[in-house]
Amino acid sequence: MLNLMRLEMKKFHVGSYIKRAIFANFVILAIMFMLLFITKIEGDAVFENYQTVLSIIDSTVRAVFIIFASALIAKLIISEFKYKTITLAFMYPINRKKLMASKLAIIVLFTFSAIIVSNVFVSAVFCTIISNLHLFSDTLTISLIIQRIPIVIMNAIAASCIALIPLYFGMRKYSIPVTIISSIFIVSVVSSNTGNFSLNDIIFIPIALAIIGISVAYASFRKIEKMDI
Amino acid sequence: MTYIVKTNQLTKVFDGKEVVSAVNMHVKKGEIYGFLGPNGAGKTTVMKMLTNLTKPTSGDIEVFGQKLTDQSYEVLKRLGTIIEYPIFYEDLTAKETLELHCEYMGYYDKKGISHVLDLVKLTNTEEKRVKDFSLGMKQRLGIARAIITKPELLILDEPINGLDPVGIKEIRELFKMLCKEYGITLIVSSHILGEIEQLADTIGVIKNGRLITEVSMEAVNRSQVDYIEVIVNDGKKAALILESTLNITNFKLIDDNCIRIYESTASQKVLSKTLIEHDIEIEGISKKSSSLEDYFLKLINGGVVNA
Repeated sequence: MLNLMRLEMKKFHVGSYIKRAIFANFVILAIMFMLLFITKIEGDAVFENYQTVLSIIDSTVRAVFIIFASALIAKLIISEFKYKTITLAFMYPINRKKLMASKLAIIVLFTFSAIIVSNVFVSAVFCTIISNLHLFSDTLTISLIIQRIPIVIMNAIAASCIALIPLYFGMRKYSIPVTIISSIFIVSVVSSNTGNFSLNDIIFIPIALAIIGISVAYASFRKIEKMDI
Repeated sequence: MTYIVKTNQLTKVFDGKEVVSAVNMHVKKGEIYGFLGPNGAGKTTVMKMLTNLTKPTSGDIEVFGQKLTDQSYEVLKRLGTIIEYPIFYEDLTAKETLELHCEYMGYYDKKGISHVLDLVKLTNTEEKRVKDFSLGMKQRLGIARAIITKPELLILDEPINGLDPVGIKEIRELFKMLCKEYGITLIVSSHILGEIEQLADTIGVIKNGRLITEVSMEAVNRSQVDYIEVIVNDGKKAALILESTLNITNFKLIDDNCIRIYESTASQKVLSKTLIEHDIEIEGISKKSSSLEDYFLKLINGGVVNA
């Protein structure tokens, strides 16, 4: 399975996606600073403490990487069916289910790691800079960071599973745009943030969506051995 | 008889339409099997079923003596294939394509890459991306990919599509070499009769999803008869002379002026001389052979031929 994942990553140059993920991190940072300055100019009390800042960073990172995952789904799965390269992949002496599982594993693991690493990176850079500007009344404490760790991890797990939902829409007509657009739609539902409240905060919603994501992934290759290519 | 591929009443239905009907195919070990049929006859569907890409609606397939099931993955190690047209991950280079293919197939002899590219006459292209290849080059690379793992059975769907005449000849020689020197069995489909004729040991003809006949080239060649056609002013009189003077009985009076002589010993020179001596005017005399094309066209158009 690991070897299969390695080959799939080599085949699709997944390495280039790491570079794109790093680029995405800088974009997230830029967005955060933009938000900060706009709210300061407008006098909105959104960025008032580190608790909120970390939470906003987390939802932004998750939003970006759920969409990022849809690009990976499009590349690793949808395009294989769309451009018929799947006939090639299914001609190898490899169990079809195992092949699909390795593709999904790459997507889920990539999304999960990217969310964790980006959270750490963006939070570190952002907080370091604003702590020198003395904008907030509170300070970033170790206990706040420790308190955030399990939340970030749980959110990352949920987001990695939610990120699989676009697979369902994309596979219907093997459409890459539909895959990406459905991910944007999902993000706009789960990561929208109004007055420090997002749907993601109702614990039932991310769990239900994560279960849907896993079910979609399972359903997509449940009958794959009987499938005519 | 050892058959490397055998199908029994193989049938495939798509959307209620039978595209392959009760096909009983027999491919012997070490031969080149030509799979001939017009476009849309069901060649590709049969080949997809042989490679387990598409699952039969009914009937079964035996490859290397084992029945194909949904779980038949090991058998794929022993196959080399091109189905429909050669498909590639176009961002990869030729070398990466072949390397990855070997890894997926569980075949670890990467030294073979340059050798196999030489075989298909694709030199100095190792670092070139597949998307920059022409159709003919892709076809060659597809063949290289199919043969690099030294498979026991090659299933090639229209492998000469997109090749120029010189390329077709080169690839034909390559196929013959692979069959003779490496003992590889080949199933090659085409809608071009001339190609199959020059390549195959056995020909299977498919039309509207049905395998009309399966016949060895040897038998086809045996059944092909040469004849001499003579156009004269008086066919009946000429026929009489043929019988009485030249003792030729194996001929046919086509109409009042045309006679076909099937006797192999008859020479055009003697014929014309004898007929002229008996005051018969000869308007034309020529040697003809009923071509293989006639034979297969007859088959495909619904005629019955006993080969």
